[in-house]
Amino acid sequence: MISAAYNQWNFNLPVLSLCVNRNGDFVAATLGDGTARVLPASDEAVTPKVVAMHDGISLSLQPDADDHAFLSGGDDGKVLILDPVLGETNVIAEVKNTWIDHVAASVDGKYRAFNAGKNIHVLNEEGQEVFDPGLSVSGTPGAVSFSPNGKRLAVSHYNGVTLWWVGAKKPEAETLEWKGAHLGLVWTPDGQTLLSGMQEGALHGWQLADKKEMRMEGYASKIRSMGFTARGKYLATSGAEQVICWPFSGGGPWGKQPLMLGGAEGRLVSCVAPHPKDEMVAAGYNDGMIILAPLDGRMEVMINPPEGSPINGLVWNATGDALFASSESGRVLLFTIGSVKSALVHAG
Amino acid sequence: MKRGRGMSQIPVTVLTGYLGAGKTTLLNRILSENHGKKYAVIVNEYGEEGIDGALIVGADEEVYEMNNGCICCTVRGDLIRVISGLMKRASTFDGILIETTGLADPAPVAQTFFADEDVASKTKLDSVVAVVDAKHLLLSLKNAKEAENQIAFADVILLNKADLVGAGDLAHIESSIRNINRYAKIIRTTRCNAPLDKILGLGSFDLNEILKRDPDFLKGEEEPHHHECGEHCCCGHHHHEHDCESRHDSSISSVSLISSNPLDPAKFEQWIMDLRAKKGPDLLRYKGILDLMGSDNRLVIQGVHMMMDGTNRLPWNEGERRASRLVFIGRNLDEKALREDFARCAA
Repeated sequence: MISAAYNQWNFNLPVLSLCVNRNGDFVAATLGDGTARVLPASDEAVTPKVVAMHDGISLSLQPDADDHAFLSGGDDGKVLILDPVLGETNVIAEVKNTWIDHVAASVDGKYRAFNAGKNIHVLNEEGQEVFDPGLSVSGTPGAVSFSPNGKRLAVSHYNGVTLWWVGAKKPEAETLEWKGAHLGLVWTPDGQTLLSGMQEGALHGWQLADKKEMRMEGYASKIRSMGFTARGKYLATSGAEQVICWPFSGGGPWGKQPLMLGGAEGRLVSCVAPHPKDEMVAAGYNDGMIILAPLDGRMEVMINPPEGSPINGLVWNATGDALFASSESGRVLLFTIGSVKSALVHAG
Repeated sequence: MKRGRGMSQIPVTVLTGYLGAGKTTLLNRILSENHGKKYAVIVNEYGEEGIDGALIVGADEEVYEMNNGCICCTVRGDLIRVISGLMKRASTFDGILIETTGLADPAPVAQTFFADEDVASKTKLDSVVAVVDAKHLLLSLKNAKEAENQIAFADVILLNKADLVGAGDLAHIESSIRNINRYAKIIRTTRCNAPLDKILGLGSFDLNEILKRDPDFLKGEEEPHHHECGEHCCCGHHHHEHDCESRHDSSISSVSLISSNPLDPAKFEQWIMDLRAKKGPDLLRYKGILDLMGSDNRLVIQGVHMMMDGTNRLPWNEGERRASRLVFIGRNLDEKALREDFARCAA
């Protein structure tokens, strides 16, 4: 099969991260030479903007607190905001001689946070440090993440996840303990449950009100990518041969089997992107294959053949009619509803 | 686990040794010598600055226990983070050097290269180089488990400050090293003046490379004890390995097993699995080339504690003598039992 892509760009440099802004109208890809490429999140035919970012590389690219911008942390110790319209960056913090591994911004636009080693910095809208002295965790963070309402900050690390209320006068750390190295974090859309992907290919979760825990195992690799499907029904995860979707409606995932979508022996799901509105998940594999998998039991559709390089980024635009994918080798692909439909008709 | 072995894996050299043994001298030599290569160096202090085009990155020594707190399934979280970050850069390196502190356990460092999928796919452990102070080694070996571990894990041992110790004492020190690790290459040096091609790019963890350099690896039971000298070494090339058993007060030793009969794959797998499960914490390093019944490929294995990697299968060359050889370096090794059990794995 040939790719159902509507358009594609080859940047000939490793793509490190692919991100869509909160407005869902711009996509940015950070590259291995420290620059970014910025594209409108639509089928507009434009040349990607080239933006110089870090004197090294970006280690973390996230949607910014400003809904139209991006937030990036780099191995040059800088935290910067990327404006996709102007194609310019603005450095908002710098910690010399350290790497900024993780950045995050709250959805309500009030806070930005990042880590420099074990120290966690929280900035307010004016760019000032919220806490003095600052926050810290016991080990190097695996992720920094705000709750959906922006009131809590979670930082994953070795042997647990630590939480703070960012509006508190005096920050009090609450650590949820579980042995092992905790990496990526994801919140349920209602903010009641926090889950972390672990070094050993497992998920661990805590229901925050009663500290009831959940543990999901059996993954073949680290879970690099996870996200909730429309209306929070399922948590879709990478790391196995199939897209593993844990049910979160009707009392949570305890004692239930996950939905397993797509899949083929010998390849692993490297990236997932639930559709923002429809009950469907886009999934990329470590051999370049991309599928669209409906949650209602209908057959999945392959939209990109296994071309070799792992898919390491997948994002939908706000309206859900454009899907962007990136591969480690340096390609960014755009799929539209139209391009997928026409490829399907073509394939019969 | 799928791993992209081969072409683009960046070689990593681990430097171990006590403070003052000469690690920094060696590092500065590697970075300043005109070899046209670009290295990234991971050191144990924060700070990042270039020395002669090299990138220096700091890392905290963070040991992660895997598998819900198994004390011997450990990896270094800081190395996973830093190496993954380094490998994202478009301009890559010819090699990565990791400097460890004198007190660091080499096992989690080595295991990181087996256990973390990102690190394993992008890099390969080239060799572990221990820099030891000839004057202080014997005392350190008596007093500190770390010193023993560093010797046990090493592929290359720089017996540094050799000029400060008499020839007779050097021979005695070497025999003490041999009692712990019979298979490391010992190089006597002054100010770490060993040729860099004896330290970097060795492929010590890659047994195919070992076979290239040491075609006799699969032959004799007792291979010659390599002894290489630095530029200013004045040793008489006399070896005194025979009388050392009596003075051997270390619990670490090496055992080498050889079989010229092909092994029964099922029996071998069962044995090595049981051995790792029961003796994993005592097995510091093991490596081997195996001739399995019914296979035209040799199986190359290497392991640290319970973690073993056995994916590297290559065909035997035509006319090559097929045999199995397995080397263990570990604590409290029961040589007799190992020999008997290994012999029972023959098909």
